[in-house]
Amino acid sequence: MIEVVNLAKTFGKGVPALSNVSFSVPTGAVCALLGHNGAGKTTTVNILSTLLKPSSGTALVAGYDVATDPVRVRQNIGVTGQDAALDLRLTGRENLVFFGRLRGLRRSEARSRAEELIQQFDMAHAADRQVSGYSGGMRRRIDIAVSLVVPPKVLFLDEPTTGLDPRSRRDVWNLVASMAAQDITVLLTTQYLEEADILSDSIVILNHGQIVASGTSDELKRQTGSSYCQMTVLNPEDLPRIALALADFEEVEVDADTGSVSVPAPRGVTTLSEVFRRMDELDVELLDISLRRPSLDEVFLHLTNPVQS
Amino acid sequence: MTAFALLTARTLRRGRLDLVFAVVVPILGLVGLTFLLRDVIATGRMSYPQYVLPAMVVQAMLFGALTTTDRAAWDKISGISARMRTLPISPYTPLMARMAYCLIRGGLALTASFFGAYLFGFRITSGFGYASAFVLMALTLTLALSLGADATGNKAGRTEVASQLLLVPQVLLVMLSTGLAPVDAFPEWLHPFVTYQPVSQIIETLRGFTVGQIETGNVVTSLAWCIGMLVVFGILAVRIQGRRS
Repeated sequence: MIEVVNLAKTFGKGVPALSNVSFSVPTGAVCALLGHNGAGKTTTVNILSTLLKPSSGTALVAGYDVATDPVRVRQNIGVTGQDAALDLRLTGRENLVFFGRLRGLRRSEARSRAEELIQQFDMAHAADRQVSGYSGGMRRRIDIAVSLVVPPKVLFLDEPTTGLDPRSRRDVWNLVASMAAQDITVLLTTQYLEEADILSDSIVILNHGQIVASGTSDELKRQTGSSYCQMTVLNPEDLPRIALALADFEEVEVDADTGSVSVPAPRGVTTLSEVFRRMDELDVELLDISLRRPSLDEVFLHLTNPVQS
Repeated sequence: MTAFALLTARTLRRGRLDLVFAVVVPILGLVGLTFLLRDVIATGRMSYPQYVLPAMVVQAMLFGALTTTDRAAWDKISGISARMRTLPISPYTPLMARMAYCLIRGGLALTASFFGAYLFGFRITSGFGYASAFVLMALTLTLALSLGADATGNKAGRTEVASQLLLVPQVLLVMLSTGLAPVDAFPEWLHPFVTYQPVSQIIETLRGFTVGQIETGNVVTSLAWCIGMLVVFGILAVRIQGRRS
């Protein structure tokens, strides 16, 4: 449903904002573009939503080429940008009706569709207030609803949860999850790894305009190795003793600031219980001990900045 | 309803207050200037309201055009512009809607000016043809300048600044023109500027249309200004609106 091949974009004569970007998202799947500010996420979304022309490469959205057939693409997409693109002086409902009619719905159709979306997005209490008085979370929700007035085949969400409080973020997550159930293909961008992990079927990690890794969340995590056994001690003075006791593990990482120690745990729970037994022998008091897989954060840092990690 | 009609209706709804100003300001201007200046400035055989009406109209057309800057800039910074571009409508529709608004605003201001001046004894004595020419030139002027203002606002994407900055030269051009007073009322060294600057030229043409006495050279100059600006600013505005880099 989204097919991107060797996409590149250079603004003016500057450094390429995107180069050699290729990925594809099947129908009904959710794909997350993950990266820092300036990594090329928004540029990619802007090209795919026909706001920018690619410098080279091709991109098919809903089966149509964004460069040669932008009108057909626009008929099949919904776009929610980083900032709410709403008429602040209208109410939420009026915005829905207005954009519905701009997309060619008749007045009565636009009204009933607006009502449907208000119910679906659980906004009945606020629908008839001016958008200018909405909270950030409400604006984002109505903004996403506006992108759905005519159900698109592909939905673009550019940083849909940036600036939202945790609860509103969760609301947006639930909305995104419901898109897949409606067979809507979603491409979202995010700086939050947790978000990409939870929401998406596949993740594309961008850095300086290039793809540094892509795949499912599990595949990406596997790339950076196995699980860790991590513990936090009550008394940081014990750290040197602990390091000595665990010296036979390949990599012992000691973080004096947080009072934590981690060692690779290729054998999982067996390793954990071995570490625990040794701590018991040393008579060290632990605040916490756990087995954990590398977080996407670590994957991200590892992939985008291998020297530091 | 088409996207064009929808967007025009939206602009009109948002501009309610501005439209009230469009009607009230030229009337107030006419009343104020007439009472202040009718015994001060000699306008020959022509009554002062008859003399000053074209200046009021031009002033209204200039000011109406300036307000476009803010509308274009607001559409851009609110992100509405970008969203429109992802909709299956022509990218030029929002520009056309803003221009339709300016023409409607101009039409209202013209009607109000005529109505107000009529009460003070202003008459068009030249017939329907000249009256149409008057209306057409006034609207062409406001459309041309609106396109320029639209290009500015659309490019800069900042409200407040642009239209305020342009307000000063606009007021100066009208003050230092033969709109409010004949050229003899100005100091000698200003005569060349006052006579030949475009606002004076256009006001002279419009005044000529109201009484049916026109000078070919002057009409050609005014037409050149109006059409020249229409073409130049039109190309600019369309290019900025249509750009998809």
